[in-house]
Amino acid sequence: MLGAFEDAELEPNEMQEVAHHLARCQTCTSILTDYSSLGRELRSITPAPDFSSPALAGFSRAVIARIDRLPQPWFRRIERFLRSGADSLGSGFAWGGAVAVVAVLTVFLLSPFAQKYSNQPVPSTITAANQLADATIPTIGEPARNEPAMADSDSHADISRLESDNPSMAVWSEPRKDTTVIWLPDQP
Amino acid sequence: MTIRPGSLTFLIVAITAFGTPGFSCAQPAPKHVFVYIDTVMAADTQEGVDPRVKPMLPKLRGLFSFTTYSMINSQEGDTECGKMIAFTIPGGKILHVQPRAVDGDMIAMEIVLFDGTRPMMTTDLKLKNGGTLIVGGPRYEQGMMFMSIGASTGPRPLTPAEVTSPANSPVTSPAAETH
Repeated sequence: MLGAFEDAELEPNEMQEVAHHLARCQTCTSILTDYSSLGRELRSITPAPDFSSPALAGFSRAVIARIDRLPQPWFRRIERFLRSGADSLGSGFAWGGAVAVVAVLTVFLLSPFAQKYSNQPVPSTITAANQLADATIPTIGEPARNEPAMADSDSHADISRLESDNPSMAVWSEPRKDTTVIWLPDQP
Repeated sequence: MTIRPGSLTFLIVAITAFGTPGFSCAQPAPKHVFVYIDTVMAADTQEGVDPRVKPMLPKLRGLFSFTTYSMINSQEGDTECGKMIAFTIPGGKILHVQPRAVDGDMIAMEIVLFDGTRPMMTTDLKLKNGGTLIVGGPRYEQGMMFMSIGASTGPRPLTPAEVTSPANSPVTSPAAETH
């Protein structure tokens, strides 16, 4: 473990245990001293690469660019984003914020408020139905009311879509009777 | 605080899963909708009004001026939002009614009228709870046929005529099928 201790590769509790032991054990202390001097000598023999030299110019930039191009899993990207937030705001605050945003979005999507908006009729289909309302009133039986009108807020029905291949289809409402009529006469 | 890569994923998946309607325990119970269809034949043959049509007569008089009204059949069924109910209508017609949502006092629904297998008319509408939509026009016997389509979140309300005259109560047919 002394080699790993010298290179600071142990877990914090292991580092503490080894340090405790070294304080009482002369043998291990001398071995560690040997490791240290050996490491120093090796480092002095092998010079560190000089990235500013012309041979290695742009090498580190190229390596970083290549790492950036590697596809990153989505959770890594979220984690990196949160970590950057944690660095500036504190990890607890970032976590709390993320959880709060997800919770608010969930509550909003389940609320009647959102459902109300999702059930809104499409205006273009209302226009289409209004055009249909101007169609001819059926001649058989002569309806008592000859003024075709689209169902409105006073009537009992609010039509958002009306489709038929019958060109003589007519729609009108009778607000006093709270009734809307869709008339589909047989085609000749 | 140590953040493990998997813990954030787990948290988001858990919140999203338990927040969706499929997993939510707070999901409201499906709304029951009662649908009733009266099919009436109307003509100008001076034969008078079928007693079973009389409860509807004030409404019909405001819309049409036929002299003969005859009840062909009366059906009702109950379904719930998202479930289609089918009614077999005389003259080879089929009516599909699918309530979509109950929004306050309005019932959103889709209605499709088929002539055999051919769709004649498709509509999306919101009908007032207990309100009526009349779909009519096709020829039937010596006159024409129309369907009075009603929907409510409770059982069909009795009209004053039905309350005073039990013989005028609607004929319930088992023709309705839910899908």
